Amino acid sequence: VGKGTFREIARRLGQRPARLGAPAAGEGAARAVARRNRGSLQLRQVDAGSCNGCELEIASCFSPIYDAERFGIRLEASPRHADGLLVTGPVTHNMADPLRKTYEAVPEPKVVVAVGDCARDCGVFRGAYGLAGAVSEVVPVDVEIPGCPPEPEAIIAALRSLSGR
Amino acid sequence: VRSDLLVAMALLGLAASLAGAVTPPRTRVRLSVALTVAACGCGFALAADVLATGGSASVHTSRLVPLLGLALRLDPLGALFVAVTAGIGACAMVFRLGYRGHGLASRTASCVLPLFITTLLLVPTASAVGTFLFLWELMAVTSLLLVLADHRVRPEVQQAGQWYAVMTQFGASVLILALVLLATHAGSQSFALIALHGPHLSPWVRSMVFVLAVVGFGSKAGAVPLHVWLPRAHPEAPGPVSALMSAAMVNLGVYGIIRVGDTLLGGGPAWWWLLVMALGGLSALFGSLHSSTSTDLKRLLAYSTTDNIGLMLLGVGASGLFAATGHRPLAVVALVAALLHVVCHAVFKGSLFLSASSLQQATGLRDLDRLGGLVTRLPLSAPVFIVAGLAICALPPLCGFVSEWLLLQSLLHGLPSADTAIEVAMPLGVGVLALTGGLTAATFVKAIGVGLLGQPRSQDAGSAREVPASMWGGAGLLALLCVVFGVAPFLVLPAVVDAARSGLGYGAAHPLAQGWSVGLEGVGGLLAPGLLALGLVLAVSVAAGVRQMAQRGALRRTEAWGCGRENQTARMQYTATSFAEPLTRVFDDVLAPSHDLDVSHSAESRYYVESAAFHTTTHDAFERHAYRPLSAGLGWWGRLARRVPNGSVHRYLAFGLAALVVVLVAVG
Repeated sequence: VGKGTFREIARRLGQRPARLGAPAAGEGAARAVARRNRGSLQLRQVDAGSCNGCELEIASCFSPIYDAERFGIRLEASPRHADGLLVTGPVTHNMADPLRKTYEAVPEPKVVVAVGDCARDCGVFRGAYGLAGAVSEVVPVDVEIPGCPPEPEAIIAALRSLSGR
Repeated sequence: VRSDLLVAMALLGLAASLAGAVTPPRTRVRLSVALTVAACGCGFALAADVLATGGSASVHTSRLVPLLGLALRLDPLGALFVAVTAGIGACAMVFRLGYRGHGLASRTASCVLPLFITTLLLVPTASAVGTFLFLWELMAVTSLLLVLADHRVRPEVQQAGQWYAVMTQFGASVLILALVLLATHAGSQSFALIALHGPHLSPWVRSMVFVLAVVGFGSKAGAVPLHVWLPRAHPEAPGPVSALMSAAMVNLGVYGIIRVGDTLLGGGPAWWWLLVMALGGLSALFGSLHSSTSTDLKRLLAYSTTDNIGLMLLGVGASGLFAATGHRPLAVVALVAALLHVVCHAVFKGSLFLSASSLQQATGLRDLDRLGGLVTRLPLSAPVFIVAGLAICALPPLCGFVSEWLLLQSLLHGLPSADTAIEVAMPLGVGVLALTGGLTAATFVKAIGVGLLGQPRSQDAGSAREVPASMWGGAGLLALLCVVFGVAPFLVLPAVVDAARSGLGYGAAHPLAQGWSVGLEGVGGLLAPGLLALGLVLAVSVAAGVRQMAQRGALRRTEAWGCGRENQTARMQYTATSFAEPLTRVFDDVLAPSHDLDVSHSAESRYYVESAAFHTTTHDAFERHAYRPLSAGLGWWGRLARRVPNGSVHRYLAFGLAALVVVLVAVG
């Protein structure tokens, strides 16, 4: 433990969550979802075959730095309790059915967010033999977040357009 | 007229037995059922008359039984038990019309079953030691024959029969000792005369008779530690027989303790009744614990019988204790609670055993881990089981609630007492009642939730078909009585109060029923089961209405959420074993579960598992640590004794000479 360690701890203790500005107004379906959700968005995350890069970024969304929960966004353990899905990665053959079943299990009305380039169009894995396709080829997608991986700011901005807060 | 009814009851029962023995197979069942139901009808009419108008019915003859004669006299205490047996007997016989298999259609069984019911009806009417023991033995032998009805097909029946035979004969021999001792010292074998002299015998004789009687009757009642035959014989007996044994026969053990302790000996010192309470508390805890972890449906019900017998004994013991310390109103309330529990237990346990046999006939299974999904496949038998199961959990507005409430009240009201024994025994009794209630609720959540709800766990459960109307009708009638007695206990309470009064020799001046409610005279406390039921119905319908409004018809039916798993099968549901696992873990000192994990590895590498089998069983501690060593010791003694007669004539002559010398020395 050096002298720098305490300085680092002191710095972090003083650090406040990132300032992220006002939520962007969503478009089309997202706007309707935001109005209905009234500042609360409960999501079940599904890793459909991701390299886990997107998971790291999602995890940091809920870290003290970005603290997405202050915008009413939470990750749920069960799709039964969720307003929608947060899907990452290209959909592999093995995950296509579980993804469909998870989508089935979410109560209506529901929203699907595809996080990252792989979820949008299979990204660098396009054409690989183990893939069933992009997320939108398996379940209907409402919001897409580009990036490989997308930065936490981008993810939170997209989710805030759904939570409306 | 009453004696005529008593004679008619006995003759109809014997005629039913004869009809079962001699008529051709096609008419055999129907004729014997009709005659037995008629006998039960006579018995019920007689008992109802005795209970309604007081007095008694008696028949004496010196002919039928050699040397001893036959002396029958029905007083209100016996009448309550006759009425209960008559009701259960009639329903079980109706049930039997549709019941297939289990060797009950044979000539022997058709002959013995009516005889068994008749002896059950007659035992509480016996009014002399000889008659009582004769009928008691007849009851034991006929029930043993019926337990063994299926012995040719299934070897486990023989083992159950052996356990039952040994335990029931042990109990009977202890009883013979007790009653003969009592009759000798009282100078008469008539119950009426014994009751006159009983209170004035020497305390040693009285105590010895009482302890022996508690052991003898306790073994018939299935009280711990004499219960070991119950969880073996009840599951292996044919359905109607197990219902009769559990709902009518074990009651007679409680009857015997009341008869000997309260009527013949006229009450006794506090330690007698503390002994009864201790037996009751132990039975209640041990029975409910084992029934909560059993996975065999009928074994579960058998252990639950031990549990309920324990509650009755708790009430009987509390009543005696109150009487011994001079709290007469409380003694009446406690005995009323115990007797009401006899009635209620008979009704719900009869229904449970009958509908469990319906489930067994529909699926061929008793193992809860392989049942399931029956509530849609058996739309009549399953609800019957559910109603009776809720009644045994003592949920209002069903009958178990009223009797357990009364029992709890009598135990609680004994508390502000100057007596140390009462001050220690009553809180323990309340604790036992509370723990037992919780465990029973867990047991029947398991039995109903795993056995009837959910998806079928095996093909046999999936292809179950509803049983004939006589079967669900017989069980359903008893389930209906659960509701009736629960909502309107005033229908049965006056009779129970009469029986308690006749047992104790004094009683409440007024019946406990006050209009629609149950009031406790002398101690305070009021229960209005009818209002409770009304409130419950209102609350449930309001809740259902609100839910309907909130849903507005938008109900989506989809697969159960299984984490997106692809092959979701019925085997992944909660099973009875997994449901009881936490309880097994908490009480592992008592239940002593043994686990057996069998893993076979792949031939190439130990890192790959080819198959794994896990097996867990709980053991009856008394059977394991008391009965097994005892039976091993007896076996050892027998083998040792077998060496003595080795076939040598010289040795036998030497034995004779030695015996002669011993006798001569002793006499000289």
